[in-house]
Amino acid sequence: MAADIALVGRSAAQRGRASSIGDVVFRALTFLFALLVLLILGGVIVALVEGALPALGTFGVAFLFSDVWNPVTEQFGALAPIYGTLVTSAIAMLVGIPVAFGVAVFITEICPIWLKRPLATMIELLAAIPSIIYGIWGLFVFAPFVQQYIQPNLIDSLGQIPGFGALFAGPPLGIGVLTAGFILAIMVLPFISSIMRDVFETVPAILKESAYGLGATRSEVVRQIVLPYTRIGVVGGIMLGLGRALGETMAVTFVIGNAHRISVSILQPGTTISASLANEFTEAVGDLYLSSLIALGFILFVITFIVLAMAKLMLLRLQQRAGG
Amino acid sequence: MSPPQASARLAMPVVPSDPDVRDPQLVPGQKAVIRNVDFFYDTFRALKNISLPLHDKRVTAFIGPSGCGKSTLLRILNRIYELYPGQRATGEVLVDGENILAPGLDLNLLRAKIGMVFQKPTPFPMSIYDNIAFGIRLYERLTRPELDDRIEAALRRAALWDEVKDKLRQSGLGLSGGQQQRLCIARAVAVELEILLLDEPASALDPLSTQRIEELIAELKDDYCIAIVTHNMQQAARSSDYTAFMYLGELIEFDETERIFTHPTQKQTEDYITGRFG
Amino acid sequence: MSIYTRRRIANGVVMSLSVAATAFGLLWLVLVLWTLLENGIAAITPALFSQMTPPPGSAGGLLNAIFGSVVMTLIATLVGTPTGILAGTFLAEYSRGSRFGEVVRFINDILLSAPSIIVGLFVYELMVVRMGHFSAWAGSMALAIIVIPVVVRTTEDMLNLVPNALREAAAALGSPKWKVIVMVSYRAAIQGMVTGVMLAVARIAGETAPLLFTALNNQFWSTNLDAPMANLPVVIFQFAMSPYADWQVLAWGGALLITLTVLCLNIGARALASWSTFKQ
Repeated sequence: MAADIALVGRSAAQRGRASSIGDVVFRALTFLFALLVLLILGGVIVALVEGALPALGTFGVAFLFSDVWNPVTEQFGALAPIYGTLVTSAIAMLVGIPVAFGVAVFITEICPIWLKRPLATMIELLAAIPSIIYGIWGLFVFAPFVQQYIQPNLIDSLGQIPGFGALFAGPPLGIGVLTAGFILAIMVLPFISSIMRDVFETVPAILKESAYGLGATRSEVVRQIVLPYTRIGVVGGIMLGLGRALGETMAVTFVIGNAHRISVSILQPGTTISASLANEFTEAVGDLYLSSLIALGFILFVITFIVLAMAKLMLLRLQQRAGG
Repeated sequence: MSPPQASARLAMPVVPSDPDVRDPQLVPGQKAVIRNVDFFYDTFRALKNISLPLHDKRVTAFIGPSGCGKSTLLRILNRIYELYPGQRATGEVLVDGENILAPGLDLNLLRAKIGMVFQKPTPFPMSIYDNIAFGIRLYERLTRPELDDRIEAALRRAALWDEVKDKLRQSGLGLSGGQQQRLCIARAVAVELEILLLDEPASALDPLSTQRIEELIAELKDDYCIAIVTHNMQQAARSSDYTAFMYLGELIEFDETERIFTHPTQKQTEDYITGRFG
Repeated sequence: MSIYTRRRIANGVVMSLSVAATAFGLLWLVLVLWTLLENGIAAITPALFSQMTPPPGSAGGLLNAIFGSVVMTLIATLVGTPTGILAGTFLAEYSRGSRFGEVVRFINDILLSAPSIIVGLFVYELMVVRMGHFSAWAGSMALAIIVIPVVVRTTEDMLNLVPNALREAAAALGSPKWKVIVMVSYRAAIQGMVTGVMLAVARIAGETAPLLFTALNNQFWSTNLDAPMANLPVVIFQFAMSPYADWQVLAWGGALLITLTVLCLNIGARALASWSTFKQ
């Protein structure tokens, strides 16, 4: 009939039908695997909740606020790991954001063209170095260095200020919350810097040229034109870095000291959620112990999910604005 | 649809265009008839009630200022717009009596008989040989020597054979712009085509390559019904037998090329041809 | 001091700080790599590649760990790459503006940055608990889950770079959509996709956390995928945290191996990416 345009014999029509089968199959295949991505996330949530339920059921909401961690009496509380996670990440952000910003400004505004690519690559190699490498480097090289040179100075100077000085109290151990936070900063700064660079590049050249044309200095263009224009993207990049810092495991595990306690002083050892998991999971005896650890994992998942989702939303907003 | 007969390659008399262009019937010599076609980008009506014939073994040129809808119209003929959601056409396009806008039509088979060459050369990322063989392999099972012959024939038709015969295995991306476009033409004519659609084929090329492409079109018209969109009026005047002038989605005038360029009946046509706008 | 002088000073300060920040960042890179080299080079001996992990106090190598890492990385790549490519293809070619596509993309990017230890926990619950024991299969699956989002992202990005004109040209010849994708789009995007796979492999080569509760570790030589399998990262973890000197030396050696692999893959991937854009 008219709908069947014959070509060079029947084989072509057959080919036509076969290829539409090919289309259906291929499309279904790709759809299935795309669905798999969703299923993985769903599976993660289900698995974590399932594993955490016994502990959450036993301790209830108090789990979040108790700093007791006693495998012997089977009393577990998430406060110390949560605190450690938040504090180390906060330190990482405090140190990492300004440095990342400086790097991004340098590469986009100051750096000669021939240096841009190699320099950007080198900074990104910081991100490529696996966490465990930072871990053993931190343990064997950095921590002793901090113990010998940095911490005594900190204790003697900032530690003497009344009130604020409590942050820097205690014997210099080398390992501890501050060391872990600092290493996290180094690990996280390439991510933040790379996103900052990308969003800085989206600023239209004519906008910057108009400012330069009026006689603005470079730092003024950056602070008053580039930053406001890319504000959302910058925050998104920062949140992405935060998400990474929150979940970092190995580097922190090596240098945080693994003590389930909360100290005011950042020179003291502590623990984070991921460090607790890494250290204790395979040794955990007893269902409640195991379940408490999984509950920790679930809490970490929720925190990072929220932070990463916000980061993504912000970056999407900037993309929409830039792309029009 | 019947494959072109060798005996029909005699020069056919130019069939005078229908005085009533609004509803042309299929008459001998006409390969396709566009009848009351509208085209929509979502809710925007880009083509308004277009009706005109396309004559076999002749070149029909579509001219008009940017945005007049000439490329849109061309892309209806092989329903390439179906790749994009939100674009649709209404009306009829009869090719050899069959309406190709009918739902349920196998688009791949349709496009195997209606070839298209685009504004920018689009060589596939494969060897020159594989580029040409791509279309053939979709629908025919040929032995190696048969395939070699077809590829050589296609490259000769496109006046590219001498330049590439020693480097058939090299990537198509290594050719110059004009050569790449001739490669695309060879790729299109390698399959058993009946209608060839050219969407500003030379606009991205240098004058020398443009000239070669035009010579090519003059040779190819002996075998195919050719529709060409061009913003270059001189090209339309030189190369085509029929010309359609479009403006803002409407067909303003359709006639034999000679008549359009010497005695246009519509004022808008005359204004455009004499360069008063566009 | 005039306003202009103040502005100039402010500019100088900001610019100097930027230079200082960059130097600061680079400093740490150099430091880490240097100490890694310094401490690890002593361990790079033929014995490293021919002997098994020793009990504390004896000499040995990392052969079983290297083997385990290679095997699990390979399986993870073989499983994760096609999955990622197909899912990325769906996002790029079939999901134009669809809600489902947006959701998948969003979730994928979250998985991309999610803590890898969570992935380890997930596979623990999914496989280790159900199977009753740790295994290399579980370890490979955990690594595969880390590979997938990376490959999805790069596949989608690379396919989106393929110009529509190329797809139209193939469709205009009567090619069915799946052939357009497989024979034209994939070929056009192949270099970028390979780069993505290389970066994914570099990422899992150094991952420790996901293996901690899936593949665990194995002191001895084992080719049994259904049992715990030695792997470099966990061995490094165990040996470095120990008080034994020869274990620590081996840990540095393993760390150096991993870092060299990761850096080569990263630099190689970037070189491939810039070479392909240079060619066009």
